[in-house]
Amino acid sequence: MHNGSGTILETKSVVKSFGGLMAVSNASLVVEKGAMRALIGPNGAGKTTLLNLITGQLPVTSGQIFFKGEDITKLGPDVISKKGIARTLQITSIFSGLTVYENIWTAVQSRKRFFNPFVHASKLQDVKEKVEYMLELTGLHDKAHAVSSELSYGDQRLLEIGIALSTEPELLLLDEPTAGLSTDESVILVRKIREMIAGKTIILVEHDMGVVMDLAERITVLYNGVILTEGTPQEIKDNEKVRKVYLGT
Amino acid sequence: MLLKAGSRSILVLIAVLIVLAIVPFFAGLFYQTFLTEILIWALFALSFDLLFGYTGMLSFGQALFFGLGGYAISIPIIRLGAGTGTCLILSILIPMLFAWFVGYFSVKLSGIHFVIITIIFALIGNTLGDTWTSLTGGDDGMAFTVSPLNLGIFQIDLMNISSSYWLVLGIVTLSYLFLVRLVESPLGKIFISIRENEERAELIGYNTRRYKLLSFIIAGGLSGLSGGLYSLTLKYSSADFLHWSISGHGVLYTIVGGTGTLSGPILGTVIIRLLEHHLTEFLKGTDLVVGIVLVAMVLLAPQGLVGLIKSVGRKESKHA
Repeated sequence: MHNGSGTILETKSVVKSFGGLMAVSNASLVVEKGAMRALIGPNGAGKTTLLNLITGQLPVTSGQIFFKGEDITKLGPDVISKKGIARTLQITSIFSGLTVYENIWTAVQSRKRFFNPFVHASKLQDVKEKVEYMLELTGLHDKAHAVSSELSYGDQRLLEIGIALSTEPELLLLDEPTAGLSTDESVILVRKIREMIAGKTIILVEHDMGVVMDLAERITVLYNGVILTEGTPQEIKDNEKVRKVYLGT
Repeated sequence: MLLKAGSRSILVLIAVLIVLAIVPFFAGLFYQTFLTEILIWALFALSFDLLFGYTGMLSFGQALFFGLGGYAISIPIIRLGAGTGTCLILSILIPMLFAWFVGYFSVKLSGIHFVIITIIFALIGNTLGDTWTSLTGGDDGMAFTVSPLNLGIFQIDLMNISSSYWLVLGIVTLSYLFLVRLVESPLGKIFISIRENEERAELIGYNTRRYKLLSFIIAGGLSGLSGGLYSLTLKYSSADFLHWSISGHGVLYTIVGGTGTLSGPILGTVIIRLLEHHLTEFLKGTDLVVGIVLVAMVLLAPQGLVGLIKSVGRKESKHA
């Protein structure tokens, strides 16, 4: 059921256990449309697992997940992608042997239907235009014909976000977009991300508290698979429990 | 550069085809047979490359479809007196049907598990072909005569070596053009994305299992067609067509020539076949030489001959 007109994603008592280990236990989360939500917590808190459950990469043990009021709990990743959820992975996941252009092309093409599967791909004018637009948006236009494995690490992270955005998602899950980047690079990337994702709903998993405080409107704290608390960045900063388990002070 | 890369390769293709088409006018029957075989094996290697080089699935079981293609020619001709044209179509459709069945179970697996299950299916096929002698002729195989192929206004007499050569040249060329078109199409882009990163392909909305199955079925049809042509030109088929070493040929030619390109498997087939042919004249152990060539290629030029040529070309254009 759809609770409130502004809700885009809702997880209801979602549980994921691996053997005896509860990776996510009883997670209930409501994300408003257009929100910028951060998901934080120490290593092993279950953040990435929760994203994997939302995208259908892992089956839930119990509980339900709703996207725009529709039960998507049992759907596979490809179907969920088509419903409008995209994600980036903690370890950069791009088509590394292909050029930047081909990477974006493959993603843009996924939203098209083909009546003639044998048409020459380069003749698809509307796909071409969208690819050009995405290259401008990501700022990777000058590197369009570089093989993506030869890009700088920061550009690869950017490309992956570009791929995700090319599928025209309504909800974008970013799993530690700045992991492995220097502070300077992180700042540039975050600025770029902010520019690119204006208006979209975001769930951001992030370790860098600077990035979180900078980007997020609301923060959900996970600890040992349990949702500890939720609030504005200021509330989270001031929360005693969070300090104890997460900030360690 | 006066011509775009695309039109240049079309010119090269046309030139190669003209030369190949006039071969029977100046080459003896031996070389026509030899070239016919090269064309057939090149098609077989191409079918393997669609799976491995473009979709990233290492199948060691393509002999199953090659052998089925052979049986799709011999069995209907011998048992039912079927026409040659019908049999050629069957040699694509029957292996495709089996590829659907085998693929349904296989594409769920990846990596080494996929390799093993394809070997197992091919072994089952080989064993069945070997033991079901009343149908297949087993190890000894079955010889047959071929009626002329009716193509509307003209007939092709397949008991004639030159005519067979032209037929094979025509079919292999059409199959090649089909593959050129396929790998440049949106569907081909999806296959390539699965090879590059299956998880990412699925995350952007592609049902990767379904596309892998599709690739497997198309490759099965083309492997079948090559087996059908082999049987048609030899006027013979046997359970040996399903032997694992046949699968190995496809893998070998493709890896030596260059995976993920359409010229690679053809080049690899030509080189290895020529090597084998010229070495058997004064050496008995051709397998040894071929093995050494394979090991050398994998170590020194993992991108195959085509990759080697391309990288040399790049270096030279940098120096220029």
